[in-house]
Amino acid sequence: MVLLYETVNLVFFVMCSLEYYEDGTVSLCSVPRCCALAMAFRAVNSRRHIGLQQLSSLAWAGRTLLGPVKSCKFVVDESTNESMLICSAVRLMESLDLTSAAGQLLNETIQAQNKEFKTGMSTLLFLVGAWSNAVLECLQQNVPVSAIVSVMSEGLDSCCEKVQCLQISVHDVNKELCSSSVRPRTSESNISQIPCDSSLNHQIFLYFQKGISASEELVPRNSCFPQEADCKFYKGLVWPLASFGSVASLVRSVDDKSTSVISGSDVSASICKQKILTHSRYFSTVAKSPVSSHLRDSQVHLSEQSAYTCECYGLGHLAMALSHGNEPSVKLLRSIVAYQHERAECSGSSQFSIAEIATCCLPGLPESYSCVCPGFITLVSPEQATVTKYFQDRSLWILLMDGDLTEQYRHLGFTKPRNVKTVLEYPSLQEGGSRDSWLSNALDILVRLEVNLVLVKGTVCENLMERCIANNILVISCVTQNVLSAFGEVTGAQPVTYLAQLNAACLGSGVWVELWKGCDERAMELGQLVPVRIKVQRIPLLTAVLTTTVASKMQLIEDQFWTFVYRLHHALKDGKVFLGGGAVEFLCLSHSQMLAEQSSKLTDKNAVKEFHSPQLAASASEYRAVVLQALATGWNQYLSMVICNTAKAASEFEAHTLIDHHLQKAADCGSPSAYVLKEFRRGDMFRGGSIPFTDSEEGVKVYDNVTAKMEAWRRALDLVLLVLQTDAEIIIGPRRSQLLNSHSSSEFMFL
Amino acid sequence: MSRLEAKKPSLFTSEPLTTVSQPLSLLIAILKSCYGPAGRLKQLHNGVGGYVCLTSQSSAILGRLSVSHPVLKVLTASVQNHASRFSDCGLFTAILCCSLIESFKNLNIASCTVIKVSKHLLSLCTDYLKSEACACRVSVDFSNLETLLCLVRSILISKPACMLNKTEVDYLTVLIVKAFMFTVPCHPEAKPVLGKCITVPVKGRRVLDSAVIPGLLIEAPEIQFAKLFSVKRTCSDTVKVAVFCVSMSGDLFDPEEGTVTVHHRVSLEMSELDQLLNVGKQLVNDEVGLVVCQKVIHPSLKQYLKDNHVVAVDRAGLSVMEPLSQVTGSKPIASIYSLSPSCYGSLKEVCAKSFASKHFVHLIPNDTVVCSLILCNRNETTWDELKRVCETAEHVLQLTLKEPLALLGGGCTETHLASYLRQKICCLSTSSFKDVDCSQTQYQLIADAFCRSLESVACSLSHDDGEILTDTVYGHCWLVPSGFPSVSNWSDLLLKCGCGINSSTKDLSWRHLRPFFGSSPIESCPKQPSVKVADFMTLDCFAAKYNGLQVAVETANLILDLSCIIEDQN
Repeated sequence: MVLLYETVNLVFFVMCSLEYYEDGTVSLCSVPRCCALAMAFRAVNSRRHIGLQQLSSLAWAGRTLLGPVKSCKFVVDESTNESMLICSAVRLMESLDLTSAAGQLLNETIQAQNKEFKTGMSTLLFLVGAWSNAVLECLQQNVPVSAIVSVMSEGLDSCCEKVQCLQISVHDVNKELCSSSVRPRTSESNISQIPCDSSLNHQIFLYFQKGISASEELVPRNSCFPQEADCKFYKGLVWPLASFGSVASLVRSVDDKSTSVISGSDVSASICKQKILTHSRYFSTVAKSPVSSHLRDSQVHLSEQSAYTCECYGLGHLAMALSHGNEPSVKLLRSIVAYQHERAECSGSSQFSIAEIATCCLPGLPESYSCVCPGFITLVSPEQATVTKYFQDRSLWILLMDGDLTEQYRHLGFTKPRNVKTVLEYPSLQEGGSRDSWLSNALDILVRLEVNLVLVKGTVCENLMERCIANNILVISCVTQNVLSAFGEVTGAQPVTYLAQLNAACLGSGVWVELWKGCDERAMELGQLVPVRIKVQRIPLLTAVLTTTVASKMQLIEDQFWTFVYRLHHALKDGKVFLGGGAVEFLCLSHSQMLAEQSSKLTDKNAVKEFHSPQLAASASEYRAVVLQALATGWNQYLSMVICNTAKAASEFEAHTLIDHHLQKAADCGSPSAYVLKEFRRGDMFRGGSIPFTDSEEGVKVYDNVTAKMEAWRRALDLVLLVLQTDAEIIIGPRRSQLLNSHSSSEFMFL
Repeated sequence: MSRLEAKKPSLFTSEPLTTVSQPLSLLIAILKSCYGPAGRLKQLHNGVGGYVCLTSQSSAILGRLSVSHPVLKVLTASVQNHASRFSDCGLFTAILCCSLIESFKNLNIASCTVIKVSKHLLSLCTDYLKSEACACRVSVDFSNLETLLCLVRSILISKPACMLNKTEVDYLTVLIVKAFMFTVPCHPEAKPVLGKCITVPVKGRRVLDSAVIPGLLIEAPEIQFAKLFSVKRTCSDTVKVAVFCVSMSGDLFDPEEGTVTVHHRVSLEMSELDQLLNVGKQLVNDEVGLVVCQKVIHPSLKQYLKDNHVVAVDRAGLSVMEPLSQVTGSKPIASIYSLSPSCYGSLKEVCAKSFASKHFVHLIPNDTVVCSLILCNRNETTWDELKRVCETAEHVLQLTLKEPLALLGGGCTETHLASYLRQKICCLSTSSFKDVDCSQTQYQLIADAFCRSLESVACSLSHDDGEILTDTVYGHCWLVPSGFPSVSNWSDLLLKCGCGINSSTKDLSWRHLRPFFGSSPIESCPKQPSVKVADFMTLDCFAAKYNGLQVAVETANLILDLSCIIEDQN
């Protein structure tokens, strides 16, 4: 794999990889820089710790993935010439060379975060880099390793404690968000003057048609108030969605058919970076234009009509606040929430269940075709589509299989007998009898029990697939476990491993299949494949259909969708959220700087005594200030990188100035947490001084996960400290003899 | 075609100690740098992107390290043997042994004399440690948790690769002691056997999510899809349990060699499955409610059991087999051809439990000495290290139960023993030198080397070039953080000694351990500090350290005694 970065990135990567090969004593048979080489050990370990350098250079590759506005990376596989857009740290890790021990540990850490939370990986990656650099700085200043370790981890613990005041319970957030959306805006007296009728909407629609470029002003402006617009609309679920937010859906609600003209991809393509920012949790620029104010008014009007009581089911607004700029997914998630809420009312099950969501990727369709449908949507071959058509409007019998549907497949843990010879006493007339007998046997069973539809977890034998199609049996392979169990639950089907196990009691009934139709009510074909929809009455399973015309973006869209889904999931699980928009990190920065200042002033021995390990108390007090400042540097770099990524500041210098400005104000205020809270309420933290605010309008409140975020910090710091404490790599296994004979054997020591 | 190769002649090496210096100093450097709470970590990996083991534990390092020098093989083997028996104090043993070899080698005294004297010195140490007068040991009071907590906490803190902060250390300390308490039988008269604590891995979670649950947890991912979990009970309101340690996956016995010829209409697989279903039928008839299999159960059998409301759990793994039979009183069934009802066990209750994202079957016995420690840590590398540490802690608690003593940690025992020896040999009578056939000077030299080896273990605790001192009153070990200039009034700078029992007092006088300035013999025997067990004391397992000391000295003696090595090169 070769990674193509934006130019700056590329240059740097080459630079840093040179740097790390230059002192490339990465693999050693034993202690490389240890007492045996006392002087060399010093030089390498205390000044330029190789492991930390490796971490820092790897992490640098992911810096543009930070924040709500990410720059995608284009990964090209040299061997197949396939390319893919990536936008997450996990995908980046998949494409990087991670054979070094530090790289392995980094990968393991990011995978662990991904497995647990599905969010926060970019934060983790960036902080690993930032803190590695900061720790290297400390080493330069001869701070002992033990002091760095103890002060850094205590500093982070202290920060985590401090930011608890920025947690808000999900309940409170909902109350606030929902009430703010219901409350009529008294500041706008002209509501009644603008009639909200179809002609106005038609005008708006025409405006859209005339020039997309003009709508650049519109889109961000409007999207600052999405929560007001469309709570009501999505109760009815399954709305075709446009990628650019509530305007499109507003228009569509009036003039349904014509919206397909506004292609989501067109709009999103024409929105420049600066404009996308307004969706971000970080920096909402509120641009002013007469059209936008009209638009807003009509929206408010609409919401007054429709949303006196908020009907986002307690989650719609929260989802918006957690979307972090992922506008298309907000719509999908709202549909999911609405559907699950409806079900929960009937069945009393939990409000948001992540296991009941599946995705189906349809590359080639415009993004406006994205939607959420109850049931399971998947791609099948045209032949299978013919079977599907045959089944239209018929209730079917379903079979679930939790293994492969092939002759050779055996359940896990089964060892095939060796040394068994089968003899034929009479020469059979049929050649290759056994295979055919399995096939016909399998088919017999399916036909006899009148199975119409088979969902298989693994792969399916091709010959059997053909025979099934000929017998009008629809077999679908590679179905995930949660889909299988959703069908099992609602149809009463019992998953089986072998067809031989099958009896009538294992089958489920009441399943319907049809060709999936997009918002234009047309069935479609994508390349060689046809999407079909399998549904059952009252099935809890929902499929989010993700579409894009750019095939290499598909993976990215799916990743982002799941990240968002999990963010909402974790917010509900935590029961609380953090104030977003950099508020938490800012408080961490100000807190760790304050701690650093305090400890540099502290010479009083008694105060030092409170510090954790008593032996180190004295030394810690000496180095505390330096190390805490290093911790603060990490936060500072994080904030400035986010500001730069969102193009809120033209340069890193400008970003630092902005942060310093806020730090100063926070310090003047006396209580930094109060300052952060106040700024968050006003909603203009880090929005920059360039755009003056004239009205006291509330922007989009942005929130973030609590546990996922703090865990990402902790994991990042743990990794850096683990690598910092490492003083030798020991190569074990067969490589030893290779190394012994290689020309680089002088770099190693052998035991 | 087979080829005959001439046998290589054996390799004879005389004076093996002459070639060991370089690899020995390398090994000693690796081990010393790992020692203690501030020890440095080692990344062990295969160099081509495989799993990285990040550790500072002797058992993990020595187990993976391939050592080629025969002398070092002897050394690592005896350290590993110690570690497998006692879990703790592996690094202490290894460092002490290496230091002894190094310093004895440089003495230029006949090895037989050195061995005799060091044996004598060892006996002085062991006698002292066993005696009531020993000032570096504390007795463990099981009615008071504080000492036990100190013991466990010291072990957790000593391995930095676990990445625990203070809260996590405290939390886990309590948890481990709690888990240990569960394994102590309530009525030891009836069955004086300690139970077992099973570690259930949950990687990726915070340490603070760890928990201890009495009874046995067996992972069963399929449970989550079972809507209602209920288990069949016998008339006496217990759950009958059958435990299989044989695979029930329906695969054939492996004939090893030769071939089995079967008629093409005969399916061995089918006949095997029929046999399994017969077993299933018998289990159902016998009113068994829960079937646990160490290996895999055939899906058809599972389906059959499920249809008959028998809960089947497979892939339980070897580690739960022993506690499983302890908990249920059942005998593991090793064959699917003979099923005796006497093999069944019983349980009070079986229920489904989910923890983190994992699903378990929870077996609750009537009277339990088995518990499950659900152990969490953020990623795999740190989890692996934490698991080793927790096992060590559990083992140490068991050893302490047998011998309720603990030694002062943080280097204090080592420096105290050295002070004790120095003082003791001053007042040895001349007859004792004659007993070991050496002059007083020789004895002094060897004893000095011995003491310095002990002290060098304590010195290994400091990794940032800080100074390390011992006081002349208690003989405890005091670490000075690096970066401080040498001052005369150490008492101002030092707050607590290594084990935490002494707070610095003005009237102490100091001696440098590193760099070593010759010692003036101490007038009196090192005293027992007046303060009794403090809250945050560092303690070491008595049994492990006592044995480690013996192993180190004896192994060093053995190695010094080597005169030649004969290696079979084939």
